[in-house]
Amino acid sequence: MLIKPGSVNIGKFMNKICILVLFLLVIFPLVAEIQIESYVNKTNIGIQDIIQLTIEVKGEKLYGLKSPEINLPGFRKLGSSTSSGSSMSIMNGKMVRSETKSYIYNISPLKVGKLIIPPSTVKINKDSYTTKPIKITVKENSTSPPETEKQTENNLGRNSTKVNNLFLEIEISKNDYYLNEPIKIDYTLFSRFDIANISYSNEPSFNNFWKEDIFTANSYNFRKVNLNGLIFESMLMRSIALFPSKTGNLQIPSIELIVDVRTQARSFFDRGSTKRSVIKSKPVIVNVKPLPEKGKPAGFSGAVGDFTLTSNISTAELKVGESFTYTLEIRGNGNLNQFDPPVLPEIQHLRFFEPEISTEISDNMISGKKIIKYLVIAQEKGVFNIPSLQFSYFDPILKKYNTKKTKTYTLNIAEGDLTFIPTGISQSKVVLEGRDIGFVLTGIDIKSHSLIFSSFYYWLCWIILLFSFPLVWFYRREQTRLIEDYDYNRMKQANKILRKYMRQATIEAKRQNIDFYTSVQRGLSNFLADKLKQRRGSETDEVISLMYRKNVDENIIQKINNIFSRCDQVRFMPGGSDTDRIQADYDLLKEILSDISRIKV
Amino acid sequence: MLLFLLTTLFVDIYPVNENTEDIFNLGIVAYENKEYDESLKYFLRLENEDIINADLFYNIGSSYFRMGNLGKSILYYKKALKIKANHKSAGRDLEFVLSLTQDKQLDNKEDLFTQIWNKVFSQIDINLLAIILFLLFFIIVFLLNFILLKYQQRDRSIPLFFLSIFIIFFLLTCFFSYLKWKDYQNINEAVLLSQSAIGYSGPDQGFTRVFTIHEGMVFSVEKKEDNWSLIKLPNGLGGWIKTDQFETIDFR
Repeated sequence: MLIKPGSVNIGKFMNKICILVLFLLVIFPLVAEIQIESYVNKTNIGIQDIIQLTIEVKGEKLYGLKSPEINLPGFRKLGSSTSSGSSMSIMNGKMVRSETKSYIYNISPLKVGKLIIPPSTVKINKDSYTTKPIKITVKENSTSPPETEKQTENNLGRNSTKVNNLFLEIEISKNDYYLNEPIKIDYTLFSRFDIANISYSNEPSFNNFWKEDIFTANSYNFRKVNLNGLIFESMLMRSIALFPSKTGNLQIPSIELIVDVRTQARSFFDRGSTKRSVIKSKPVIVNVKPLPEKGKPAGFSGAVGDFTLTSNISTAELKVGESFTYTLEIRGNGNLNQFDPPVLPEIQHLRFFEPEISTEISDNMISGKKIIKYLVIAQEKGVFNIPSLQFSYFDPILKKYNTKKTKTYTLNIAEGDLTFIPTGISQSKVVLEGRDIGFVLTGIDIKSHSLIFSSFYYWLCWIILLFSFPLVWFYRREQTRLIEDYDYNRMKQANKILRKYMRQATIEAKRQNIDFYTSVQRGLSNFLADKLKQRRGSETDEVISLMYRKNVDENIIQKINNIFSRCDQVRFMPGGSDTDRIQADYDLLKEILSDISRIKV
Repeated sequence: MLLFLLTTLFVDIYPVNENTEDIFNLGIVAYENKEYDESLKYFLRLENEDIINADLFYNIGSSYFRMGNLGKSILYYKKALKIKANHKSAGRDLEFVLSLTQDKQLDNKEDLFTQIWNKVFSQIDINLLAIILFLLFFIIVFLLNFILLKYQQRDRSIPLFFLSIFIIFFLLTCFFSYLKWKDYQNINEAVLLSQSAIGYSGPDQGFTRVFTIHEGMVFSVEKKEDNWSLIKLPNGLGGWIKTDQFETIDFR
């Protein structure tokens, strides 16, 4: 096999590309992000307590990971262990593999006071990652409780100096607001327990606020969060937007959650139980300022936020009777649901229908758009102006009023084809005003009615149909007999054969052909054999003697005999082919046939 | 198409002389000119020429109504409906005219099944039934012959199944046709034409008065005796009234 030099080169080139691609595929995961975290199981401890420090490294591939170098001044190392695991998950249709390696150190403090676990460094290949420092408070006496019960009880006391293991945090962006300015509030649950169930307590009444729900958690979606060196499970429980409707110091009421915590099993037989605790968010006070009177525009309708105003007209050139739409769109962040949009003034000769107002607010309840659509019908020809519209709002960030204006539109309305201008909006129902009989029927085919049932032809058709039964019955019997009775079948066939040969003979007789005799002999002998229920091809003598036995008229037998001998004579004797006699023989044949049809065998 | 062919085949065609059409059109013109007595004259002339036609009867009924003769108009609407059970105009107008009569029609309260039955029964035309009946018969004969010829040695269960279904339909249609035929032949239904009539318990005014009915009342005639007839109101009440006060719904 010959290989061209060029093809080898291409092959090598391809190999290189393949290797490069493979290399990239291998390298790629190594480039992927590495997460590193360190945490302890408790930060408030007694001098005799042991705490667990965990350094967790997480990444797609922990190839070349070296043990962290840890240096713990003020602590005594009691032992260490490592654990590793890997998991696969599919994200965005892509398989994501992640490995976790944890280094766990049991340490105990050497002195009382505030200690710091310094940052530790972990090296993977040539990259190094550093953890955050963790503050530990060490006291004289042991704070380590027989876990669960005591701590869950502690959680009820909100201002406890101890670290809460279960609490609901309220997140609010700032404390000063203007009237009607949206306040976005997130409630997040933090927990270090195994939570069995969460439910909402009664909804507090948000007096002085207009409330819009943005999000309410309805499934568990915990995230690990490192809070001051402790690992918490956190979950966003609720998000709401509040629009203050009063000024002054307003309290945002706290919301309550009922949380069932699974307690640990103490023995093999104890399956563990749940403990219910009610947690409350901290009440927060916000200061709501009134909107400044200074610079307040005349047409201000209470919009607070940041908005843009656009307008649009479907067509400016139209005819009398035609319609166009005037669209106004207010888009932005703010209290979209709480203000009135600007209104178009009535313009003579233009008919404005009630505007169609739609408000679309995105999931965060603060941004969105408001679309106001007017359907306008032109009623007179001429040139009209749609005036500019003003929309004013207060911008809480810039702390001033803003006014946006729309364009002025000029309409050219031409003479229309429509003379009728609808004056009503809704169609009216057809009302029954009176009842009467219908008008006489005209243009009808005045044919006298007759009953089909009393028609003669109708019943005639029935009788014809009924007659089909005996016909079919007879036909069926005939068919059966043809199949079952062979001789009967032959008899039936005989006539057909005779007819066939005789037709041939007639043709040949006309042509004065000598083959006439062949046809005659074959046809006649086969016919007689079938008729007498004899084997085909029987000798003529046999057939004739049989005919004698069956008492066939001697005259006919004589004639048949004659014609047979004529045939033999012509066929086997040289010079016997006398074409002159063909006509005479044909006449004789016809005579025989008419005789045969009369005889019954 | 087939239906049309069959209808034209079975319906006896009477020669319609041109005169008939002219008379009919004259009647219509008179009606259009609001000369109702004139138009009625033409229409009735046609009826006397033994023309039985639902539309003609409808027009006669309408002319009578225009002349204020409720009884006659009900009679003719009823006649039209008898010939053509699904005659839309006649059905609608009959309902309207009946609502104008003095007596509330004494129909018994019917249950849902009876109502549905009556509705279906009144919608189906007797001639249509005749054609359906014939078609079913044709299919059955065809199937039977087919089975006789082609299924001599084969399993006959499938064609027999179809055959039995058609036979069931055929029998049902037979039953339906019989009812319709009887209804068509019923010449006992009558309409009161006089202003009012008193029903007595016997064929003489000396008997007890049983009821009084008014023009347009539809009832059935049970028995005729000299000048008196025993009638039965739709609610089952029986009484004797004078024979000349009503006319039966019959066009033969």
